[in-house]
Amino acid sequence: MSQNTAIVPNNQLVKGNHDFASITKLISDIPQERTPLWWYIAFGISNIVMAVMLAMIAWLIWEGVGVWGLNNPVGWAWDITNFVWWVGIGHAGTLISAILFLFRQGWRTAINRFAESMTIFAVMCAGLFPAIHVGRIWAIYWIFPLPNSMQLWPNFNSPLLWDVFAVFTYLIVSTLFWYVGLIPDLATMRDKVKGTISRLLYGTFALGWTGGNRQWQNYEKSYMILAGLSTPLVLSVHTIVSFDFAVSIIPGWHTTIFPPYFVAGAVFSGFAMVLSLMIITRKLYKLEDIMTVDHIEKMNIIILVTGTIVGFAYAIEFFIAWYGGVEYEKFAFVNRAFGPYAWAYWIMITCNVVSPQFFWVKKFRRNVALTFILSIVINIGMWFERFVIVVTSLAQDFLPSSWGYFSPTYVDVLTYIGTFGLFFTFFLLFLRFLPMVAISEVKGVLPQANPAYYRSNNGKSKTTE
Amino acid sequence: MEKERHQTYWRSLNELAQNKEYKKFAEREFPENASELKDGVSRRNFLQIMGASVALAGLASCRKPIQKILPYTYQPEHVVPGVPLYYASAMPFRGSLTGIVVETHEGRPTKIEGNDLHPESNGRTNSLQQAAILDLYDQDRSRNIRQNGSDADWDDFVDFCNNHFADTGRSIAFISEANSSPTLERLRNEALNRFVNARWVTYETYNDESVYSGIELAFGQRLRPLYHFDKARVTLSLNDDFMQESVNNVAYIGDFAKSKDIVSPDGEPSRLYVAESNYSLTGSNADHRLRIRTTEIPQLVYALAARLSDRVSGLESWSGYTNAFSDHRWISVLVEELVSHGGEAIVTAGSEHDAPVHATVAAINQALGNIGETVDYLDVPGMPGSDQNEMFRQLASDMAAGNVDTVIMIGTNPVYTAPADLDFSNALAQVSTSIHLSTHYDETSRESTWHVNRAHFLETWGDGHSYSGTQSVIQPMIQPLFDGKNELEFLHAIVSGEKVSGHSLVRQTWQERYPDRFESIWNEVLHDGLVKESHYTSVETSFASDFSAAVLDFLNISADHGPDDIELVLKPDPKLHDGRFANNGWLQELPDPMTKITWDNVALISPNTAERIGVPSSRRFGEFKQPVIRITTEAGQQSEIVAWVLPGHADNSITVYTGYGRQQVGRVADQVGVNTYNLRSSDHRLVRPSVEVETAGRTYEVASTQDHHSLEGRPHVQEADLVDYREHPTFAQDAVYVPGTFGGEREHPISLFSDKQFPDHEPQWGMTIDLNSCIGCGVCTIACQAENNIPVIGKREVRRGREMHWIRTDRYFSGDENGNPKVMHQPVPCMHCDNAPCEQVCPVVATTTSVDGLNQMTYNRCIGTRYCANNCPYKVRRFNYFNYTKEYLTTGDDPEIIQMAMNPDVTVRFRGVMEKCTYCVQRISRAKIDTKNNTGNSIKPPDGTVKTACQQACPANAIAFGDISDENSKVSAEKRKDRNYVMLEELNIRPRTSYLAKIRNPNLEV
Repeated sequence: MSQNTAIVPNNQLVKGNHDFASITKLISDIPQERTPLWWYIAFGISNIVMAVMLAMIAWLIWEGVGVWGLNNPVGWAWDITNFVWWVGIGHAGTLISAILFLFRQGWRTAINRFAESMTIFAVMCAGLFPAIHVGRIWAIYWIFPLPNSMQLWPNFNSPLLWDVFAVFTYLIVSTLFWYVGLIPDLATMRDKVKGTISRLLYGTFALGWTGGNRQWQNYEKSYMILAGLSTPLVLSVHTIVSFDFAVSIIPGWHTTIFPPYFVAGAVFSGFAMVLSLMIITRKLYKLEDIMTVDHIEKMNIIILVTGTIVGFAYAIEFFIAWYGGVEYEKFAFVNRAFGPYAWAYWIMITCNVVSPQFFWVKKFRRNVALTFILSIVINIGMWFERFVIVVTSLAQDFLPSSWGYFSPTYVDVLTYIGTFGLFFTFFLLFLRFLPMVAISEVKGVLPQANPAYYRSNNGKSKTTE
Repeated sequence: MEKERHQTYWRSLNELAQNKEYKKFAEREFPENASELKDGVSRRNFLQIMGASVALAGLASCRKPIQKILPYTYQPEHVVPGVPLYYASAMPFRGSLTGIVVETHEGRPTKIEGNDLHPESNGRTNSLQQAAILDLYDQDRSRNIRQNGSDADWDDFVDFCNNHFADTGRSIAFISEANSSPTLERLRNEALNRFVNARWVTYETYNDESVYSGIELAFGQRLRPLYHFDKARVTLSLNDDFMQESVNNVAYIGDFAKSKDIVSPDGEPSRLYVAESNYSLTGSNADHRLRIRTTEIPQLVYALAARLSDRVSGLESWSGYTNAFSDHRWISVLVEELVSHGGEAIVTAGSEHDAPVHATVAAINQALGNIGETVDYLDVPGMPGSDQNEMFRQLASDMAAGNVDTVIMIGTNPVYTAPADLDFSNALAQVSTSIHLSTHYDETSRESTWHVNRAHFLETWGDGHSYSGTQSVIQPMIQPLFDGKNELEFLHAIVSGEKVSGHSLVRQTWQERYPDRFESIWNEVLHDGLVKESHYTSVETSFASDFSAAVLDFLNISADHGPDDIELVLKPDPKLHDGRFANNGWLQELPDPMTKITWDNVALISPNTAERIGVPSSRRFGEFKQPVIRITTEAGQQSEIVAWVLPGHADNSITVYTGYGRQQVGRVADQVGVNTYNLRSSDHRLVRPSVEVETAGRTYEVASTQDHHSLEGRPHVQEADLVDYREHPTFAQDAVYVPGTFGGEREHPISLFSDKQFPDHEPQWGMTIDLNSCIGCGVCTIACQAENNIPVIGKREVRRGREMHWIRTDRYFSGDENGNPKVMHQPVPCMHCDNAPCEQVCPVVATTTSVDGLNQMTYNRCIGTRYCANNCPYKVRRFNYFNYTKEYLTTGDDPEIIQMAMNPDVTVRFRGVMEKCTYCVQRISRAKIDTKNNTGNSIKPPDGTVKTACQQACPANAIAFGDISDENSKVSAEKRKDRNYVMLEELNIRPRTSYLAKIRNPNLEV
C-alpha cells in the first residue's frame, strides 16, 4: 500500500462498548422496568385524543358526511389528504425492512422494528379514512368481492378498489413481516420476564422459538422471502394510491408522473416520521448507542434524495402542464401556485423543497435538534402536498361556474388530530411491551458477530480505547 | 335585521322538541315573539322551524281533522292506482289566469304543467307556476278562522257577517288583490249595490296602473297592452323586464324565443334593445343594452319621440323637444331601426315608470304603426276606471282619519307591503272591524279583527281570464287541506250571509254567461281548461284630443334628480314576487337568474357605485361575507341590506328586491332577507330619485350558488354575432380542438378501441339545449325539483355549496366588468356520457350506462364515496351530505302533508348516496309501457311522447329530447344543426346532451 492511501474504517453501527449480553439487556429490560411516569402521561393524552377521534367518527356516522366541510366540487378533502399522508408515512417501515435488507444495509437493524411498527399503526390510521369517508358506512363491505346471491361484484375498473386491495395487502404483509421479525426477540423476552402471565403471553407469540440452528435457517429463509414479497409492495402501494388521482380526468390529478412522485414523497415523509419518533425515543430510553447520529445522518441523506425527487416532480408537473398545452391543466398548476390556495402551495414548497436543502451540509445532517425540527416540518409539508393535490384540483376544474372553495369544519380538524391519538396509543403500547429494537438483528451487526472477530482479536473482545 | 344576530341553534330536532322554551313557543300558537327562532334560513333551522311550526299547529289546534279511510269497494271510474290522471285548471296571479294541467296521483296533485291548448301557456310554465304545488302542501298555511286572534269557525264567521252586515249603511272598504274572476266581479257588484257606503280598491304591490294611466293619457281609454314578440323584428325595452316581471311572461318568452330562432345561417333573428338600470333577465338576452338610471328613462324616451317626430307622423307634440339625451348615440340608431321596422317593432317600458313614459311609448307604437301588428291594446271589462294606487292612498288616509267602519281585505297583505308613509298598520287600527282573507296568518291578519284562512287555488272552484282574455275555470284537485275558503265563498258570505260553495257560485256566473247548452259548455271548459277563442277585444286606438296638451305638460316637468344622485329602484323579487311566495322553499332555494343568490335579497349596485359607497367593487373568490350598506330615504326611512356588486348595473343606481324579511309567517319565510318595503312611499312607489347610502360597517353571509363569473376564455358556452356565424357556421364545434377531427369530415374523437357508437338497441336517448332560445329563467330547475322529489336544504347548506338541483343554470359575464358586460346563460343537467368518467371510478358499480344510453344511478348500490362526483367534469352530481330527504319529509307532526307533494314514480334518496339527472327515467319508462301496451311489441315511444320535466316546463322551448338513433326525431334534427356543439368534447367522454350555440344579432352601426 502506498502512503497516500488509507483504509477508512466503517463506522461502527453500535456505539459504546456493547456485547451481545449488554444489547440484550439494554433492550429487553425496557419492558420489564417500572413504567415511567411520562409514559402514563403520554398514554393518557393519546387516549383522550383518540377518544375525541372516536367521538368525531361517531358524530360523522350519526349525522352524515356533511359534518365535514365538503361541498359540491370538493367531494374529497381532509379525509383523502389524511389517508394518503398516513399511507405515505407507512412507507418507511417496509422500505427499511425489505429493501434495505435486500441491499444488505446493516444500519437498518437499529430502526427497522421501530419503523415497521410505525408503518402498521400509520396504515391503520390511513385505512380509517377511506372507511369513514363514505356516505353509507354500513354498506362498505360491498367494495369487497364477496360472493352474493345477486351476483354483484365490485367494479374492478375502479382505482378505489385497487386501493382497497393494495392497502390491505400492504397491511397484511407488513404485519407478517413485523411479526416474523419479532419471533426471536419475543423468545428472548419470554426467557427474561419474571411474571407468569407475561411469560405465557410472550411464549405463546414466540411460537416455541428456541434459537436452534434449523429454526434460524428457516427463519432467515422466510424473512428473505417476505422481504422479497414486500419490496414490490413498497412501490405498488403508493403507486396505486396515486392511481386514485392519476386515473381520473381532473386536471391536476390526471398526471402520469404521479406513481414515482408519490412513492418518493411517501419515502420522504416516512423517513421524516421515523426520525421524529426515533429522536424522542432514543433520548427517553437512552438508546443513543444503538440509534446513533450516523443513523440519523444516513436517513437524512435519504430524505435529501427523496426530497429532491419530490421537488423535481413539482417542477416537471409545471413543465408538462405548459408543454402538454392542455389549457385546463395549465390553469390547474398556475392556479395552485397563485390561486386561492396559494398559501397551501407555498407552505408545501417551503417545507418540502426548501427545508431539506439544509441536509447538503454534513454538520446539519448530524445535528439532532435540527433534524428533529425539519422532520416535523417535512411532514407538515407532505400533508400540504396531499391537500394541494386533492383539494385545489377539485375546487377549480373544468367549468368555472362550479368552482368552489373548501373550508374545514371542526370535525375535519379534530378527526385528523384524533388519528394521532390512535397512532400514539398503539405506538406507546408497542414501546412499553415489545422490544423496540430487533435484538437479534442488532447483534448480527455487532463486530462480535463476525465469525473472524475472535480470531482477529485473540479471542478477546475488542475495546475501543 | 337587528334581532337576528343572537342566534340560537339546536343540535337536533329532538332537543328542540324537548326544549321547554320551545314548547312554550309552540303552545302559544302564533306567538307574539317568534323571533326566538332566529335565522330561519339555515338548513338546520329551516328544519327545526319546520318541525316547530308543525308541532305548533298540532299543539295549538285542538280540533283534529276527521279522518276516514275507506277502501275502493268498487273502483271509481278512471282511477287506476299508479297511473296519474291529468286535469286542466288555471293558476291565478296578479289578475290573470294561466292555463295549467295538473298531474294527480290517487287524488293528490303532484305536478303542474302548462296547458297546450291555452294561448298564454302553450304547454309551458314559469317558476311560480311550477312551485305552486308546494304552496298547496305548505304546512304553515293558516288552518282556521280567527276572531281577535282566537279560534273560530266558518259558522261563527257567517253568523258574524249576518249580524254585522245587516246594517248596510256602514262605511265599508274592500281591498282586493287583482282578480280577473267574473264571479268575483258579479259578487263585487252585488256588494257595492247592497252596501251603499262601500268602495272597492284593487291593491297590488306591483301593478300596471301607471301603464293604463299612460295609455289613457294617450288614447283616452284605460287599455291593457299585449305584445306579440314573435312578430317583432326590433324590440326596444325601456326598463321592462318582460321575461321576468310580466304576468304574461310565459307567452312572451315563447314568442321572443320564436323570433330569435335561427335554423340556418340564412335565418333572420329579431333584435332586442334594452335600456335599463338593473341588469335584468331581459337585459341579459339583449343584442344591445344600455346602462341607464331608471330616473333617466323618461328623458331618453322623450328624446326618442322627439327625434322620431321628424320621421313619422303622430308625434308632433314632441317635435323640437331636446334634452341631454337628444344627441345620445342610441337615439339615432333607434330611430333608424324603428322607422325601418315600422309595423314590426315593439316599444315597451317598465311599470315602475310614471304615466307620461307609457303615454309616450304608446304614442311611439301608434306612430310606427305597430298597433294591431305587434302591439294590441285590449279593452279589459271590469278594469277599474281610475288609478288604484291613488285610490289606495285615499283609502288609507280615510282609514287613518277614522272614516271607515269596516275593511275587508281579500288576499292582500297591505300591512307588509303598503308604502311606509301611509302607515297602514296605524290606519288599520283606526278601523273598528277588519276582516282579512289570507293563506297565512300574516302581518295583516294579526292586526285584523277577523282572519279567514284562504284555500289554495288547487283546492277550490274559481274562474277568470288570462292576460289576453281567455276564459277558464279553476277546478279543485283536492278537498281543502285546512278547510280554507276561497275569495268567492268569503265574499259571498259577507254579501249574503249564506254558506254557498264556490262550485255553485262559479256555475251560477257561467250559467248566466252561457245560458244555452250550459252543461256541455261547462264540461268542455272543464275538460279543455278554457273557452276556445275567447279573447278580450283589441281596440282601434287614436290619440285623445287633449293628448298634445298633456304632452306639453309633462315635457315641462323638469327632472327631479341631480346627475350624481344615487337612485333606488324597488323590484319584485324574481322568485318571491312581493313576498306572497316567501314560504315556498323551492323558490327560496332557486338561484336568482342573474345573481345566483338564494335565500336572500340584496342591494344590487355597479362596481363603480360600490367604489363610491366604499364597498369592495369585486368579490374575493370563496368569500361569503359581503358588506352591508345602510340606505336612508329622504323621509328618513332606513334599511340595512347587504350590497352585491352586479357587473352591468347602471352607475349611481341601487336595485332592491322586495318580498323578504317576513315575520311569523312560516318556517321558510321568517327572517329570510330584509324587509325593504319601508323604502317605499306613495309618492315614490317604486323609484326614489335620491337616497343616502353609507356602509353599515358589518358583513352578512350570502349563499350564492356560483362563485366565479368568468368563463376564463374557455369554450364551454359558445356564442357568436350573426355576421360571424354566417361566415363560419360551425364556429361552435370548431372552437375545441379534438384529435382526429382535423381534415375531412368531423367525426368522433379517435379511440383506441373500435367501439360502436350505440349498442344494438333502440331508442337511444339524447338531448339538445338551444342556448339561443334559453333565456336563463331557471324554471327548468324548479320543474326538475318538483318532478324528481329534490329536497330543500336551506341557506346554510347552499352556502356550503351543497345545492341539490339536478339541473342548474350557469351564468357567465364576459367583457368589461365595470362597463356593460354580456351575460350568457347555460343550463347544465347530467350529460349522460356514453364514455362516462363517473362510471369508471365507482368501486361498487352503482352508476352504469343503460342499453338506451342513460347514465343510471342505482341508489341502493351507492355507498357514497363521491369519487364519481369528483371525476365528473360537468360537476352535475349531487351528494346527500345529510339526510336531507328525511328532514324535508318526516319532521313535524303532520309530515303527511309535505309527503303528498312527492312524485310516487321517483325514489326519494337517503343520506350518503349520490344523485343526479336521470333524463326523467320515470317518464321514459311510462312511455315505454304505454307504447308496449298500444303496439304489443315495440318499446320505442314515438318521437315527442317522452318529455323531460325541464323540457316540458321551458317557456322558450330550448330543450329537445328524444331518440338520437332515429334520424327523423326532433332531437336528431337539432343535433344536425351547424350550431350544435358538445361541451368538453376533447375529453372523449361522449355526452348525449349537446348545446346549440347562441347567436346575437347586434346592429353593426352601434
